[in-house]
Amino acid sequence: MTAALAAPLLVGLFGTAGALIRFSVDGWLAGRPSGRRHWPWATLLVNIAGCFVIGISLGLSSRLGGEWHAALASGLAGGLTTFSSWTTATVRLVSEGRHAAAALNIGSNLLAGLLAAAAGIALSGG
Amino acid sequence: MKIPAAANQRAATATGRHGWRVWAAVAAGGLVGTELRYGLGVLFPEQAGAVPWTTLAINVAGSFVLGLLTTLWIARPRTAFWLRAGIGPGLLGSFTTFSALVASVDQLARGGLHTVWLAYLVLSVLLGLGAAAAGWKAGKAFAGNAGHP
Repeated sequence: MTAALAAPLLVGLFGTAGALIRFSVDGWLAGRPSGRRHWPWATLLVNIAGCFVIGISLGLSSRLGGEWHAALASGLAGGLTTFSSWTTATVRLVSEGRHAAAALNIGSNLLAGLLAAAAGIALSGG
Repeated sequence: MKIPAAANQRAATATGRHGWRVWAAVAAGGLVGTELRYGLGVLFPEQAGAVPWTTLAINVAGSFVLGLLTTLWIARPRTAFWLRAGIGPGLLGSFTTFSALVASVDQLARGGLHTVWLAYLVLSVLLGLGAAAAGWKAGKAFAGNAGHP
């Protein structure tokens, strides 16, 4: 019974932490003065980090309890990464006529995310 | 320096120190979004070796709502920042997930299920972008109608 409760509790705790880290990164990057036009760097950064975390959780899955695997994968990685900001920021770039920047946003998140996940899996012995 | 209105709005909302209300809203939204995603995964479990439909639906739905709220909030910049932060980056940011998409594509590809991972990736990108664009337009139309009754 405790195990059944542990997973949703840990997932919620780790997911909240992930959301707060993501929000901090966004505020930190957006607060830096830059002459360049906006580009969703913060989302790329947290998506890479979260894909690395989920890669670690996959590599460790045989050694981790189910609730800790869920805490890392569904909680921390899930809360840290975001799909909706990624798609909405892409649509916004398109609406501003910045098609190359939009395409780069799609490609860089997918490519770097897949590489980060593979790196996490390899480093954790998966 | 002239900054586009949309970028300016984003910069204004993201700079400076946030009050406790903003952090509390992001934490609460993050908790709710994460539990909703986790709960839907428990209710509608995904099968190994198949397209993860639950995650796909979550990501598409979240993209539509965030697109809608983004244009709605651009039209109504006076919406309290803690509320926008709690619902946008907090709830919707945590509800949707990029890492689960990437992990599934990785695992399906390692399993040799090339049709499945390709279908999942293409569906996620096309439906996700389509939903965000549809939400974006819907929010604009809604804000326009509300502004000029």
